Amino acid sequence: MNTLTAELKVKIIDILNLQDLSPENFDENDRLVGGALGIDSIDVLEMVVMVEKDYGVVINSQEVGEKIFSSLASLAEYIKENTPGSSS
Amino acid sequence: MGKRVYIAGLGIISPLGEGLAATEEALRDNHSAIRPLDLFPLLHGEPLPTGQVRDLAEQSDLPRTHRLALNAARQAMASSHTPPDAIILGNTTGGILTTEALLRAKADNKELYRYHGLNSVAEYLAQELGCRGIPLTVSTACSSGAVAIALALEMLRSGKAKAVLAGGVDSLCRLTYFGFHSLQLVDKQGCRPLDADRHGMAVAEGAAMLLLTTEKPARPLAELLGAGLSCDAYHPAAPHPEGRGALRAMQAALADAGLNPTEISYINLHGTGTPENDLAEAKAVRTLFAAPPPLSSIKGATGHSLAASGAIEAVVAAIAVAKDFLPANTGCRNPDPALGLTPLRQPTNQATAAVLSNSFGFGGNNGCLVIAKADRFPLPAPRQGKAGLAIHGYACLTGAGDTAATLALLAQGLPVAGTADLAGISANLPPNLVRRLKRLPRLTLSLALSAHQDSGFEAKPGAVFMGTGWGALSETHDFLTRLTDSGEQFPSPTDFVGSVHNGPAGQTAILFGASGANITASGGDYSFEQALFAADLMLDEGQESALVLGADEGHPVLSPLLDPSIASGTLLADGGGGFCLSRKAAGAQCLVRIPFYQCSAAEGGIKALIDALGGAQTLNGKYALLLAGIPAAVREEGEGQLAEFLGQSELQAPIIRYREFTGEFASASAVAAVMAASFLRSGEVPGPFVSGDDLALAGKKNAILVLGLGRYLSAMEFSRP
Repeated sequence: MNTLTAELKVKIIDILNLQDLSPENFDENDRLVGGALGIDSIDVLEMVVMVEKDYGVVINSQEVGEKIFSSLASLAEYIKENTPGSSS
Repeated sequence: MGKRVYIAGLGIISPLGEGLAATEEALRDNHSAIRPLDLFPLLHGEPLPTGQVRDLAEQSDLPRTHRLALNAARQAMASSHTPPDAIILGNTTGGILTTEALLRAKADNKELYRYHGLNSVAEYLAQELGCRGIPLTVSTACSSGAVAIALALEMLRSGKAKAVLAGGVDSLCRLTYFGFHSLQLVDKQGCRPLDADRHGMAVAEGAAMLLLTTEKPARPLAELLGAGLSCDAYHPAAPHPEGRGALRAMQAALADAGLNPTEISYINLHGTGTPENDLAEAKAVRTLFAAPPPLSSIKGATGHSLAASGAIEAVVAAIAVAKDFLPANTGCRNPDPALGLTPLRQPTNQATAAVLSNSFGFGGNNGCLVIAKADRFPLPAPRQGKAGLAIHGYACLTGAGDTAATLALLAQGLPVAGTADLAGISANLPPNLVRRLKRLPRLTLSLALSAHQDSGFEAKPGAVFMGTGWGALSETHDFLTRLTDSGEQFPSPTDFVGSVHNGPAGQTAILFGASGANITASGGDYSFEQALFAADLMLDEGQESALVLGADEGHPVLSPLLDPSIASGTLLADGGGGFCLSRKAAGAQCLVRIPFYQCSAAEGGIKALIDALGGAQTLNGKYALLLAGIPAAVREEGEGQLAEFLGQSELQAPIIRYREFTGEFASASAVAAVMAASFLRSGEVPGPFVSGDDLALAGKKNAILVLGLGRYLSAMEFSRP
């Protein structure tokens, strides 16, 4: 598991107040939005703000949000690909 | 005999202009008034398109909301020689544009914040217009204006008033400007309702007021024929995807008006321009109307003025029936085929007998109105006279804890003031439901669950009436703080959604699946009384039970600034009370009614109060206990009123100033109401509470009176079934 994924787990548990979840039992491939965690459109927007603030990556949730936030792994992938100055 | 409700006067100020003529002309021009914001400076980026009022004279230290409201109110009252009997105003922003600037400047003189509260707008109008009756403030987000008009309709039909000034107002402010942007609901290219390329709304401002009367004016502009309310009970911000709540509200409005869908000549859509709203609304319209009549949303021209929009569009509906003129769906170039609707592309002159006007809002709060040509349609059969409200369950929260803990201390004559413990409040709440919720919604949900449980009812309550003086202070504070701290870059969408006054009642509806009326009132220290007043107007005879709740949170930063009764050094207190009510007295714990609510400055106010309670002799034979609500900020005035009341009524009963027990917070009267209900259930008032012997509530003298004193005089009566 890479650093970005581990970091995102901690941040998401914190900002969405997912009290029953710990970074250890947070599977990055599990369904994030609309899954068992009860994460909905408002949570997505809260994550959009976090991603922009902490990684400088802007996400238009109306257009691409659903795909990017399908799992934590896909979110990490999107951040990696779109980080300003990244080589990929 | 039922009563017709006529529209005797109209007032409007919006981005389209000031007054009926300017509004009609702008609509006939079919141009959008949406422009980049320039009301307040931004730290970053290009200003987003907004609907800003350009005609408001800047020459007052009053908040913009108050000035917009007075402008529209004066227009509506222009041809009337007497003040209205009541004012019912939809509002979500109060004086927050001013408060935002004060907080940024770290102003700590609380006098400067005196126009923050939502209730301050209606009370200001009442003062300016000489209205002595109830200034009922409704805050149901974007349906506030329509819900206010629906309440006015019931008040007039019930005979409680002959003339009511009703409408809505909101001013642009940072909270709504950045809040809707944080939800990615703002279309950067303006607003294009029903368009295939629509990307959202334009946040706007404005005010509109209707003078509604049961006496037929010489030249009625139109008739308010019906109204329907519902709640999605689905999500705090997003509409039900199939438009189920929207459909129910439209059906209820048509049924109330006694019309078939085929009799509607035009639908003024809510049509905000967000992808979700327009789709859900279109589905609902197509379900109800086999062949929809001409329809349009004017929000591409005006933007979305939130609490004002329902009232602005009611004025436009009145123009439509008065002038046989239908406005176009400004901004829509390519109607979205997925909607299956054909919006009016051009302003159209066409005979228009009846208009359906839709308003939907956060919390799933829906309000629809039917406005028609005066006397054109037969009057629907009047509904049966309503039985009184009966309490079947109650609960409270205070600094002492839950109902049992609170009543135990009161029975010993000990105070219960303080802030309720958040972990304790949350103990009976599902963790996943409340993970995003801060203090006020948790207080509210806890009260709602406990009150319903106490009723023993298996059926869930269908309607929710909530009173809160200051709303969700934690969410409001945290939103504004993060907005400022991040240089206006990263406001929290969660806090924005949670900051609306009707958030807690919306969450309550979701918890219970309560799809009936859902009304949040905000009347300062009389907020719970206003919620009870609204419940008495709107709860139907045959309806299942309803929740009536009153709660406020004590916020360490904002409460001492905003609440005039909290001085430095005052113990921070909060909590509230909740009731499960119906109109069935059988099996009830006690009955409740609200026989009086009037401005205390009115001449002969105390005499009018005593008369409303049946006169001195009757009330002396009836009330065993008086619970007096005297907020600290109006102690002298309140004590004077109490002395006058006791002098004139010669009431022989213990007098308890209940804030000495509850502490100072706006909805303390909801806790006093729980005290009264609990004493009636147990059949006695504990001796230590009244510093005397146990007081049996037996014989004829077995009722409890809860008075609100200060700027207004209110009375709630609790009695045995």
